[in-house]
Amino acid sequence: MQELLGRISALDPQASVSLRVIACFDELVVGNVNTRGLLSAAASLAGCTAGFRQDLPARSVRVTPKGEIAEGRALPPPDSSISCDGLTVWLERAGPAHANDTIILERLALALRIRHGRGRRDVDNRRELGLLLDRTVPVEERRTAAARLHLAPGVRYRVLAAPLFAVWAEHPTGAEDVVPTPYGPIHALVVPQDHARGGASPSGIGVAAAPEHLHRSFRTAVVALRLCAPPVTGCVLADWYGGVIELLADAPLDADLPDVDSLDEVMGHAWGPATLDALVRAGSVRQAARLAGVHHSTLQTRLDAITEVAGFDPFDGIGRTRLGIAYLVWRLRNSRVLDLPAPTYTASTAG
Amino acid sequence: MTTVARPEFDPELKAGLAVVGGVFPPTITPDLIAFMRRSYASPPIEETLRGRAIERRDHVIAGHGGDPLAVSVLRPAGIDTPRPGVLFAHSGGLMFGDRFSGADLVLDWVDGLGAVLVTVEYRLAPEFPDPFPREDCYAALEWVAASAEVLGIRRDRLMVAGASSGGGLAAGTALAARDRGGPALCGQVLDYPMLDDRGVTPSTRQFDGVGVWDRVSNETGWTALLGEACGGPDVSPYAAPARATDLCGLPPAFVDVGAAEIFRDEAIGYADRIWAAGGDAELHVWAGGFHAFDIFAPHTALARGMIRTRNAWVEKILSD
Repeated sequence: MQELLGRISALDPQASVSLRVIACFDELVVGNVNTRGLLSAAASLAGCTAGFRQDLPARSVRVTPKGEIAEGRALPPPDSSISCDGLTVWLERAGPAHANDTIILERLALALRIRHGRGRRDVDNRRELGLLLDRTVPVEERRTAAARLHLAPGVRYRVLAAPLFAVWAEHPTGAEDVVPTPYGPIHALVVPQDHARGGASPSGIGVAAAPEHLHRSFRTAVVALRLCAPPVTGCVLADWYGGVIELLADAPLDADLPDVDSLDEVMGHAWGPATLDALVRAGSVRQAARLAGVHHSTLQTRLDAITEVAGFDPFDGIGRTRLGIAYLVWRLRNSRVLDLPAPTYTASTAG
Repeated sequence: MTTVARPEFDPELKAGLAVVGGVFPPTITPDLIAFMRRSYASPPIEETLRGRAIERRDHVIAGHGGDPLAVSVLRPAGIDTPRPGVLFAHSGGLMFGDRFSGADLVLDWVDGLGAVLVTVEYRLAPEFPDPFPREDCYAALEWVAASAEVLGIRRDRLMVAGASSGGGLAAGTALAARDRGGPALCGQVLDYPMLDDRGVTPSTRQFDGVGVWDRVSNETGWTALLGEACGGPDVSPYAAPARATDLCGLPPAFVDVGAAEIFRDEAIGYADRIWAAGGDAELHVWAGGFHAFDIFAPHTALARGMIRTRNAWVEKILSD
């Protein structure tokens, strides 16, 4: 696949090859591919042998770009190797590192950590975190899963949710796995209650909860994630929205909601998103104008237009609540945060 | 969002698609032919041959209608005694690729099994429609048989092989050789072959817009080859071997295909009809495999299994 990556770059120098590497490992993780398969993919992507060593029990595997087990004595891992939780991975690159080596190694390390994840696979083929975050699993099973993940009873934690292609500036240590959701596989990571910063973009951090209620944290984290708007808002905390986010987490978004439908027209205007964002955060027209960076008479004109389309006054009593909720549901319905950028084989590159 | 039921891709292969999709989109329309000719061009053959004990000699022979046709003869280095020969037709949907596309896999038969590989630069549709691509292959087969002594090839152990469109061309060449009393063949390797222009099997309709080579791509390829005649009553069985009504008297066939690709049903059908006609066929259907997964993702467990299984059959047929 290294050769294919080279071809992609040659055909389209703007193409994000690293994103394809990431997407490749996403699928390997979701597909529960084993250590050899992960090393094969890394070696194939890199075009050189990939190695893995675990401390306890001692085990070492090296795989060639053709997916064959490399024979012979393993050399000490090079300086560029990544070690974490007793697992070490490396690429046996002769000569200078290639552009994609870092991302390949990083994703290989992450995939192997998940594959060798804490806890065993359950009979229903899910690992501990997947059980813990599923509210349909009986609470006793969830408590058992929490104990296996070394989460203390009575202590509150949060779940951080990120797509598999998220960019991690800082990777907190904690129970983590890829969890299937209606929006596709989501990378879930348990962090302490006081952890309130995004290590990844995009990511969402859920409400704090005791171990057996972390499914609530996860569901709110996914809503928060879907409210992200990178690069401006790379991380959203569920706490910003208080109890509303828990309602949103349980709301059927495809329901017939006229208030939300009416926002389609407003959000279609160039001024729509910024104006609505200002309106739901402000207490008055003047404050909303300041937040939106426009003259208050301009904002008043827009407000009149919104009132006309929505059929209620956003500053009138329950109207504020209606607009606020409709705005959030509209953003969730139209969220693109979890979309992988499309492959770059557009007609324009066909030339 | 499609609601068609279809087998899932193998997880390792699905991961590979994240990369493969960048050079080989699932749906190829006529306006993408130019792009595909660039993206599916083989890497320099010198690179492919590096580290292999293989000698290469290029020839220009008489192709269909006597036109000049390039072929390369690849033989194990330093061996002058007559060796088994393989005529190879490359992949590329009848419209793109070159005689070294996918060569890495068949070169194992040269340095691993001691065969001489002859790979042919058959002319491509739509500029050269039927019968140019297959008759170029047939002309190359006759040339190999006629030049066997000079090329150091055993005339009694000659095989045709091809992948995808090349698999269809190899099957058509074997049919033509039988009917014309041409060179005797000891085997035909048909890797996920493109056999049927009619596009009527269930598998043809199962993979729209996903994987490698979907229904639309197939229509693009067959229309390039056959033009208006595509899907109609007047298509030659040499062009679309699935249309052949008589599959008696063919050389032993090796057919492999993915379960998650549009050619699944026509490959299974072809092997089945060879058996029904009393012939010799070996069929392997690889669960979760998309089209040509051994070319695009040879590092995966599934591809290693496919390659190993195929090479074992070829060894059985060809080796001394």
